[in-house]
Amino acid sequence: MIPLLVLWAHVDQRKANATSLVAIIPIAIAAFPIYYFTKGTPQVDLRLALFLVIGSVFGAYVGARALKFVPDRPLRYGVAGLMLLVGLKQLLFP
Amino acid sequence: MTWLDVAAIVGGLFAGVLSGLVGIGGGQVFVPLLTLGFGTSQVVAQGTSLAAIVPTAIVGGYTHLRQRSVDRTAAVWCGGAGVVGAVTGALVAVHVAGPVLARIFGALLILSAVLMWRRARAASTPKPVTD
Repeated sequence: MIPLLVLWAHVDQRKANATSLVAIIPIAIAAFPIYYFTKGTPQVDLRLALFLVIGSVFGAYVGARALKFVPDRPLRYGVAGLMLLVGLKQLLFP
Repeated sequence: MTWLDVAAIVGGLFAGVLSGLVGIGGGQVFVPLLTLGFGTSQVVAQGTSLAAIVPTAIVGGYTHLRQRSVDRTAAVWCGGAGVVGAVTGALVAVHVAGPVLARIFGALLILSAVLMWRRARAASTPKPVTD
């Protein structure tokens, strides 16, 4: 969604990050019940989700606050490299 | 509370920090974390990730809205179109075999990695001096 906003809608990078976060709320709310109700057993582990949220809400706050202390470029390269490795693993050895 | 719950909190913290730092969506971190770290199936990882994203995005999105850093028109269009796409995708995903779903997710992750790499390179390229 962020590349779409930046490249097609010409929204600046910082605004695109914030806008995509707001837009994901209705998307996740709409898709969640399908994973929960469509099959006989819910395809959601609510307990695991609860404990993930406890960490992620605090982590998102810490990450946003730490933004000005962490160099952006090496971080992006690092995360892109990690995503590439995990993506290749998922693609080749699912 | 079990050690698995503690591991989930630490994993969530890691995903949240990355989300706050580089602005990547929770799903790109939550889903591989759940399949590789917690051994859940691909479809359960995706469903659980959605459940975890809702409160995280509400907290982050509300903060951004208060700071007036959101393009509201774009958010409405993206959110509206995204709902249609996400419902269609989810209806398909729950019936797709795990390995196929994992491969599709892997391909999307590689695409995201390439886009992020290009953005990092673009950010590091010095602008030409015009005067």
